[in-house]
Amino acid sequence: MIAGPVALLALLFLACGLVYLLRRFETMAALLAAGVTAVLAYATWRLPLDTPVRLAGRPLWFGQQVVWAELTLQLTPASKALAVFLLALAAVSFVLAWRTYQGRTFFPFGLALVALWILVALVQPLTLAPLVIVLAAILGVFLIQAGKAGQTRGAWRQLLFPTLAVPFFLVASWYINQAPLNPDDRTPYRVAAWLLIAGFCLLLQPAPLHVAIPAVAGQAPPVVAAFLWIGGQSVALFLLQRFLVTYPWLSAALDSASWLLWLGVFTAVLGGVLTAVQRSLGGIAGYAGLYDYGVLLVAMGLHGTAGLPTATWLILTRTLALLTFAAGAAEIRHHMVADRLEQLRGAASRLPWSVAALAMGGLALAGMPLTAQFASRWALLQLVTENDPRWALFLLVGAAGVLIGTVRASQACFGRLSASPVEREPLSMVLIAAVLISAGVLLGLVPQLLTAPVAAVILPLSALGP
Amino acid sequence: MTLVDLFRQLSLLVGLPAVLLAAAAAAVVVVARDWRLVIFAYAFLSTMLALLLSQLLPTEWALLQAVVGGLIAVMLFLSARQLRWRPAGPLSWEARWPQVASLSSFRALAVVLAAVTFWAVRDRVQLPRVDTLFRDAILWLSLLGLLGLALHEEPLHAGLALLTVLGAFELLLFALIQDRMLVGFMEGGQLLLGLAIAYLVVSRGLAFPDSAGQSDSSGRLQ
Repeated sequence: MIAGPVALLALLFLACGLVYLLRRFETMAALLAAGVTAVLAYATWRLPLDTPVRLAGRPLWFGQQVVWAELTLQLTPASKALAVFLLALAAVSFVLAWRTYQGRTFFPFGLALVALWILVALVQPLTLAPLVIVLAAILGVFLIQAGKAGQTRGAWRQLLFPTLAVPFFLVASWYINQAPLNPDDRTPYRVAAWLLIAGFCLLLQPAPLHVAIPAVAGQAPPVVAAFLWIGGQSVALFLLQRFLVTYPWLSAALDSASWLLWLGVFTAVLGGVLTAVQRSLGGIAGYAGLYDYGVLLVAMGLHGTAGLPTATWLILTRTLALLTFAAGAAEIRHHMVADRLEQLRGAASRLPWSVAALAMGGLALAGMPLTAQFASRWALLQLVTENDPRWALFLLVGAAGVLIGTVRASQACFGRLSASPVEREPLSMVLIAAVLISAGVLLGLVPQLLTAPVAAVILPLSALGP
Repeated sequence: MTLVDLFRQLSLLVGLPAVLLAAAAAAVVVVARDWRLVIFAYAFLSTMLALLLSQLLPTEWALLQAVVGGLIAVMLFLSARQLRWRPAGPLSWEARWPQVASLSSFRALAVVLAAVTFWAVRDRVQLPRVDTLFRDAILWLSLLGLLGLALHEEPLHAGLALLTVLGAFELLLFALIQDRMLVGFMEGGQLLLGLAIAYLVVSRGLAFPDSAGQSDSSGRLQ
């Protein structure tokens, strides 16, 4: 009997090796990587967890537990949902990267990164999961640097904080194991809770620990940066949810929801305000992404049953918004050979669809109407207002900052083109931009389209076990 | 004589001498600018950490720390050798790789201030299942590692400072948990971290005009 986790991870790592060998044939590597992840996403979504199936004549049980020494790997309904999301994200990102020149190492290393992220969702004991996140961060170094000499700030910063988080989790695991030995003493739980909170602060990197996000935006290819943010942040938040459900005393010992709310609001305000004053596409992408991440943290921190569905909804819509913005920014950066706003003059005349994608992605990150994020943000603002109207005001201030930044970036692309010739965007990019923009507008007009996927994830997420 | 026997010959150093030598090596990692000195100090620090870990773990497991530290030092040495300076380069000492954001005297002063902080807080720090000697070692190495992370942006120095913090943490972790799998994960993780740091060292160093390695006009590593 082939166990699901083994099959999934082994196929991803095998594909990683194969794609690495083919990396010089970019089209083949991109299509192979996208194809493998798309097929695996579909298979993971369709195959049942509770009953074995026959695949190519061999029995395969997707939900089978794999035990090795003290490690356990198992696909649960919640981790299955995350795996499908990550695989689908990778498939879309590989196609975008293929047409927007993101570096050929992205395809093989992206596959390995997805495998590690999925491993985080499967691994037990929970306190070892941050070690896998560090492995993913190490791989991220090569993706961000993309073979270029020069600045290493982004790659270094995204590696630093997860690595510093690991000690907190491992020492917390010792306290957690000590606690049952003396049930009357609550000290081990309290110390473990503090250690876990500190570990999660380093892992989630809200402001003021946000320095990796804008640094990665400035240095990494845009689609790679968006891929790393969406995947890495979703996995970190999933891990947080696993901890909160597995260790109920964590919420009781410290008001973690309140921490998340405050940190989320601070992150969103800082990100939004700083977006408005950036002078480069990378800077705007980084801080707009930071604002969006802050909003997501606020959703995770909301009390009651509405917070988790809203957070799930936001994760789906922010994926589309970030990828749309990144695709536009990548194409503009590539053709204009520039990142600073004053050097983008005339881009709209040669790259109209890329500029449109940039503008629509930015508007979606600000939560404007007719974009994918509008309905989810609106729902979040209503929930936040019920708790404290001032928080909603702060989030709106941040959204105004993102809006200003987006308008500045779009405005910079108009005007007369400079003397140097700029190649027109290829038809494939036009198609990609059109699909992304249309999908955003469609979700803005009919947000109910996401009701079924969100509903399918909520129950497993709220009840997920260790 | 096996490697483990050879390692046991150094048991004379276990205890206070190893802690003092590790503390001095950590200070060199933070203060020195010369890459050879810094890499040697890290390799030495790893050996001292292995000696200290041999009091907490079976010798074979503790030896892994020295082996991994040595491998990381070799990786960093090979990376730095690619960036070695031209014999008669026109650039001044300050303009050459590795560039650091502060003067050595400033960093030395910062280490002195860290030492003052260490003496002020050491009695107030309580760590579970750790004696005072190990507590001092953990506190000092953590302080200097974090100081190194704050002072350096250059991947060579900052990376070694991060590995110093992890070394301090290992002393605490393995005092609490003696688990073969955890030892393997920690050491394997450090090795991969060393690989990433070595890659960043080359990426950063090749951007300097006086490096022996060359990059093409797109900045791509050859």
